[in-house]
Amino acid sequence: MFSLTSRAWSPYTAGIVVGLLQIPAFYFIGTALGTSSSYVTISANLAAFVDPSISQIKYAANHMSGAKNWWQVALIAGIVLGAFISSRLSGTPRWGASPFWAKAMGAHTPARRYMMAFLGGFIMVLGARIADGCTSGHGVSGIAQLAIGSFIAVTAMFGAGIITANLIYKRV
Amino acid sequence: MSVLSAMLLGLAMGAIFGMALEKGRVCEGGVIVCQMQMSRHAMLKMFLSAVITGLIVLSVMVGFGLAKLSPKATLFAADIVGGAILGVGIVIAGACPGTVLAQIGTGYKDAIFTFIGGLFGALAFTYMEPNILKPVLTSGAYGKLTLDQLLGLPFPAVALSFAAILIGLLVWLEKVSPWREEIGPNADGVPAESPPKGAMPAKA
Repeated sequence: MFSLTSRAWSPYTAGIVVGLLQIPAFYFIGTALGTSSSYVTISANLAAFVDPSISQIKYAANHMSGAKNWWQVALIAGIVLGAFISSRLSGTPRWGASPFWAKAMGAHTPARRYMMAFLGGFIMVLGARIADGCTSGHGVSGIAQLAIGSFIAVTAMFGAGIITANLIYKRV
Repeated sequence: MSVLSAMLLGLAMGAIFGMALEKGRVCEGGVIVCQMQMSRHAMLKMFLSAVITGLIVLSVMVGFGLAKLSPKATLFAADIVGGAILGVGIVIAGACPGTVLAQIGTGYKDAIFTFIGGLFGALAFTYMEPNILKPVLTSGAYGKLTLDQLLGLPFPAVALSFAAILIGLLVWLEKVSPWREEIGPNADGVPAESPPKGAMPAKA
């Protein structure tokens, strides 16, 4: 069930593992699992090289330092590491873009996919910061805490996602 | 906790998180998009399993006084507008802010563009937040509202009942649409081209 060399775990096993990570998050860090605020920590610290006045913005200053913020930056670095190890152990490394995109979009070039990925990433994190959370912060963690705001945000996320996915892609 | 020890703990937790995202196959854009088309449900199954586990874990921790919950404030306008923008972005990117890092780990090149786009998105928000976005962010603010407060019941009672309902939903979902078929032969969310020759007809 937990074999690191198998290509896939059941989504139930994988989900339970993620849910159990709430224990160290709450016990040691005093916060819930989340990923999208680390984008602010990283980008604001990088932007400070070009525009030192960014630290005058309260929102940036709140995210630029401190154990909680850098814990989350390390968490997302760990995700890259864990997925790398996992995919190599099971023999499912990937490259380029998934063959899924050619099927879902018809005419497809890598350059077009890379542009879409950049655009999608921009919109995704902008939205996550407006809502103050993403699939993990609002979704996995917010709903587990029965937060009303998280129920609203996740409903809006799936609602808009379902409409968009059915409008812009072919069924695969 | 010092920044360094928090980061070491974060790295270890992230490695487990990343393995789970990779093994659960939500590191595949196809799995995310097909979920949003509501044609296959591997992502929803993993997502709800994580929610259910969280509900149970937090019920126990709150019950024994081991954790203090930190629910996000209810910001009616921001939750709807931001959530919707997030949903559109997830579909275009084929990733969530967390799963994109698992995509990078598996080797997908497009995910690097998604991540860099995300950094610029965070930066755009940071610069717009004090002026342009303030009205959206502050209208319909109700503070830290939770379902158990609204119902006037203890957190563990509501959380465990809700978990039981979600477990029922997953049992039904798995019956209707088994996860192995949803993942596809190459574990990338792309289904088999056509049934192999001489295959037994699928059971009704």
